[in-house]
Amino acid sequence: MSEFIQLVIAGLTTGSFYALVALGYTMVYGIVRLINFAHGDIFMVGAFIGWTVLTTLAATHMPWGIGLLLALVVAMLLTGGLGVVVERFAYQPLLSAPPLSILITALGVSLALENGVLLIFGAGFNTYPQLIGSEGFMIAGARITDIQVGIIVLSVVLMAGLYFFVHHTFIGTAMRALAVDRDAARLMGINVERVIQITFFLGSSLAAVAGVMEGLYYTEINFFMGFVVGLRAFTAAVLGGIGNIPGAMAGGLLIGLLEAFSAGYISSRWTDVIVFLVLIGTLVIKPTGLFGERVVERM
Amino acid sequence: MIKPFLSAALPLMLTVGAAGAYADTIKIGVPVPLSGPYASAGVDILNAAKLAASKINAAGGVLGKQIEILGEDDACDAQQGVQAAQKLVDAGVAVVAGGYCSGAALPELGALHRAGIPYILDASTNPKLTSMGYDNVFRTIGRDDQQGPFAAAFISGYLHAKKAAVIDDNTVYSKGLADNTVAGLKKDGVDVVYYDAVTPGQMDYSAVLSHVASLGPDVIDYTGYFAEAGLMAKEAAALHLKPQMMGGDATDDPTLIKTAGPAANGWISTCAPLPQFLSGAKDFVTEFTKTYNVAPGPYSVYEYDAIDIAAKAIKDSGSTDPATLVAALHKVKDYPGLTGIITFNSVGDRTVASYITVTVKNETWAPFMKLSPAGQWVPVE
Amino acid sequence: MRTAIPVGRLGIAALVIAAGVPFLCDNYITDVALTIVTYGILALGLNIVVGYAGLLDLGYAAFFAIGAYTTALLETLLNFNFWETIPCALVFAAISGIIIGWPTLRLRSDYLAIVTLGFGEIVRIIAVNLDITGGPNGIYGINPANVLGHDLTSPKSIYALGLVVLVIVLVFVIRLGQSRLGRAWQSLREDESAAEAVGVPTLRVKMLAYVIGALIGGLGGSLFAARFGTIDPTSFTYAQSVTILIIVVLGGRGSIPGVLLGAIIVAGLPEALRFLNLWREFVFAVALILLMLLRPQGLWPARLRRIAAPSADEAHHVPHAEPAAQIAEVTANEPETLLEARNVSRVFGGLKAVTDVSFTVHRGEILSLIGPNGAGKTTVFNCLTGVLPPSSGSILWDGRSLTGLVPHRVVARGLARTFQGIRLFNNMTVFENVLVGMDHRFHVPLPAELIGLPFARRDTGLHYAACRNWLEFVGLSDKAGLRAGDLPYGDQRRLEIARGLAGQPRLLLLDEPAAGMNPTEKQSLMGLIRRIRDLGTTVLLIEHDMLLVMGVSDRVIVMDRGQIIAEGAPAEVQANSRVVEAYLGTEEDDPEDGPVGSISEGALA
Repeated sequence: MSEFIQLVIAGLTTGSFYALVALGYTMVYGIVRLINFAHGDIFMVGAFIGWTVLTTLAATHMPWGIGLLLALVVAMLLTGGLGVVVERFAYQPLLSAPPLSILITALGVSLALENGVLLIFGAGFNTYPQLIGSEGFMIAGARITDIQVGIIVLSVVLMAGLYFFVHHTFIGTAMRALAVDRDAARLMGINVERVIQITFFLGSSLAAVAGVMEGLYYTEINFFMGFVVGLRAFTAAVLGGIGNIPGAMAGGLLIGLLEAFSAGYISSRWTDVIVFLVLIGTLVIKPTGLFGERVVERM
Repeated sequence: MIKPFLSAALPLMLTVGAAGAYADTIKIGVPVPLSGPYASAGVDILNAAKLAASKINAAGGVLGKQIEILGEDDACDAQQGVQAAQKLVDAGVAVVAGGYCSGAALPELGALHRAGIPYILDASTNPKLTSMGYDNVFRTIGRDDQQGPFAAAFISGYLHAKKAAVIDDNTVYSKGLADNTVAGLKKDGVDVVYYDAVTPGQMDYSAVLSHVASLGPDVIDYTGYFAEAGLMAKEAAALHLKPQMMGGDATDDPTLIKTAGPAANGWISTCAPLPQFLSGAKDFVTEFTKTYNVAPGPYSVYEYDAIDIAAKAIKDSGSTDPATLVAALHKVKDYPGLTGIITFNSVGDRTVASYITVTVKNETWAPFMKLSPAGQWVPVE
Repeated sequence: MRTAIPVGRLGIAALVIAAGVPFLCDNYITDVALTIVTYGILALGLNIVVGYAGLLDLGYAAFFAIGAYTTALLETLLNFNFWETIPCALVFAAISGIIIGWPTLRLRSDYLAIVTLGFGEIVRIIAVNLDITGGPNGIYGINPANVLGHDLTSPKSIYALGLVVLVIVLVFVIRLGQSRLGRAWQSLREDESAAEAVGVPTLRVKMLAYVIGALIGGLGGSLFAARFGTIDPTSFTYAQSVTILIIVVLGGRGSIPGVLLGAIIVAGLPEALRFLNLWREFVFAVALILLMLLRPQGLWPARLRRIAAPSADEAHHVPHAEPAAQIAEVTANEPETLLEARNVSRVFGGLKAVTDVSFTVHRGEILSLIGPNGAGKTTVFNCLTGVLPPSSGSILWDGRSLTGLVPHRVVARGLARTFQGIRLFNNMTVFENVLVGMDHRFHVPLPAELIGLPFARRDTGLHYAACRNWLEFVGLSDKAGLRAGDLPYGDQRRLEIARGLAGQPRLLLLDEPAAGMNPTEKQSLMGLIRRIRDLGTTVLLIEHDMLLVMGVSDRVIVMDRGQIIAEGAPAEVQANSRVVEAYLGTEEDDPEDGPVGSISEGALA
């Protein structure tokens, strides 16, 4: 039983990272119908910006709580900004082009970000300062650390905040309107370009939070770290029903748990296969994902 | 289109290359991944090569000429590897020292074999590379079937483990080492309670670790790379796991300590005797760190030795003709390299690959135990 | 059956240059050229899936892997020689195409992406995990291909083999594009639902795209194994699938010269950029972004395919190709009652769109279905044609049940339809749109069509001639080669009708064909409808224009709010007070307007 709980803890922790990154995928897809392949790398950039802030601050003897906050805020702002820049210059011109073209551009941006970071920071692993220890407590025979609790709680809070934002603010409503019919939204006076940029900003900042948290928790960061997380997060977004925010959260946590259980009970070497088979099985039964809406076509 | 470009560029490159050959340089090719997920390893190896070459050149070069290192990106891909090897051949290299991914190294070897150019491998531990029947292949790194039994002997003979768990990362090097370690453990009568692979890049191994720990091993041996090993050390400590954590020579890297912090203390790795622990050769680590602002990685020393041996073969034979060099390399005997005494056997492997164990103490690597000629475990001085 | 390929001469020239590479260039260039050739083969295969059929496949490397591993395993374990492994590699690749294709058939394109990606990873991971595939070490010691006693081991000789394979694949893919299947794929890409509704068996066609794409991928894999003598899982990663996709889209998907150009750039550019060392990949990425921004349609986009229609004269000389003959073929021995709808209902969530609708359609009549907007008329059409299954009730055709059949099977039984909002295949020519409408009538096996066997050519000749005649029948004879999306509105309507007629329907359903037409055009349409009936095809018509309805119909059925409220001859229905009320409201609702005597006076255009 304690092993089960331990696996649940592991699964929820990794799942929280996936969920945070999946939110970005799902939001962007919702309004622009683009699978933003560069999103995993945005996550990675966030981690690196956080690292830069923290190592620069390490020279000053700032209390680590403030340093961490600063790192988070700076990472969120800069990464969010990067997301907007990418959207403005690489995606916006192609919004009315054949959809595959924008996909390839996204792949290009992904490669560019990876190799750009490689050139700036080097190919090795950079390490975050050891800010957070592994104090924790026992639950039903399993061990959970404070930081794990922090990660899970933080991502739930962020998701709730995002959900509230999307459903109860004007901009959020504008985003949802855009998702349904971009032209009609424009005719209603919504500044479509601005709303799209805000969406990218939000998604990228969330990914940056995940990136900094990942750096703090796992310590190692590397220019290639966005790949696996990006793939898992994308899978999570689709599993939950792409375009659906609670779905992305559910998908992320679900995949984290799946990973943990298959590693713990079956074999770690087959984890990826199991995750994909579950995804494929779900889509066969429910073609729009767990919470996805059926799109009815009018003939 | 690209074809006209290439046809124009190639004669130019050949001319430059030929000019280079007539100029005062001897070229040594280093095909390694310089892009993609393995770039960090490739850059590390290339840096070691350049460092070795600069030392030789500072001392006057070889046969009156300077050594020029030509690094080519093989991106850990078979097709690009073959093309990289061809390029090096066309550029007039006398010898090639490098390689990282077996998937690229093997095709590269084929291409170099056709051109008769010797290939000194610095990182591929898989036995199959020297069992192709090629005479132009050499290895400064030990083979999996040498390190594995050593690790097994350590686990059974020093740690006195009754049960052990072996984890690899399903790559060529790691699996080879794991297979050989498990075979050694079974022969030594240790119960291997878990032998499976994890996926690198996944970051979170607490699920696997807690599952493995529940099977009650005395030792968990991870035969993969330092990045994952650091995470495992950290996560195992967070879970308060009891088994002794250890790893193969690719886990022996400063990054492990930086990742795991205090949790790294107590980790043991098997490895070639590092320059830090070889009297009279401590300079390498200091110089590398000073030149490149980063500590040397696991294969840097093997590459350094490869370049040195290549230069020695050129000097001894007095020629840069590939066929002559192949013969000269086969004659290398008792060469004192950073990684120990090197002699190549008939298929190009090291006759004696000596290993020691190192451990993390006070968050730095320190020498630990080695096997004395009498078969006793004694501290490394 | 000539197809305009001005690109042909350029292609021959390129092939000659390519053939000369091993003689003129050294091993390095030959190796690069061989990589280009390998990628070219793979990209041509993926082009079928992504370019022709429009299915986003992110896991194409799986087929590549299966071909390579099959050849490798058969050679090393069972001592097959290279040539013997090829048919097996193709079979396994085809099977995997079916396995991978099947779950994805009903998915939307973006979901397709992740599922295919998943399959690609699954194949690779299986290869890494199983001992029989050599695990991460892969398989080595694969014997080279042997031609007439010579082992192909040198780069030049393998390149020659690769080039031969490329040419074979190229010819195959070109012929495929010109075939019925190629047309079906394009119609699928243009408008999947419309394609299904005009008789294209969309699920089967999608599956074929995967299978044929898989075959080519597998062939590329076998070639790859023979080239290196050793394979391992790192050659079959997601990154490899992405590379092949980049080639297809960068070059211009659906375009064969584009795809080959893409292969040259994607395989050749990084080589040319080697001097940049660590900056190589970064520069390549930036170049890719810029290229897509500057030319989103691809470097060499697919041109409008033109299958040249036969001339009107030629078409008239082909026996059985005249409209009258075409329809007569299917309407011999027709029963009196063609179609019977019994208590058909359709509910959407809480909304009852159609309630308990029963009616019959008699042979040879023109029957109109009218009613105010929202009455449920198009929903009835959708139920009849299989686009929506009825929530309850049944539909009988020829006495047999039609309920629940998918649209393309309904078309095969003899119904055809046009749409309220015109749904043509805009990027295909007028002639090709009509061809698609008739494609379901032809059962020439694909290989026969590709090779061009005499009986296949005869059938194709009949096919083309008949479609040409249909164009003439609707008055679009001189516009056969134009792009369908460029036609003026009225012509587009007529094209839709021609597309429907080409399928030799016994019953043609027209959904508001006169919408947006001026009076002259409407007169012309009425004439056309009568001529269609005179051929022998029964017509069921939804319309709002009362003059047209009353002028052309034998019988009229009136619906309001999902139910039938009147039925009978036009004059009767016009005078029916319930009908008047449904359209105009009762006297009490609008006291200022005097009572309106009949519908035509309050004509709703």
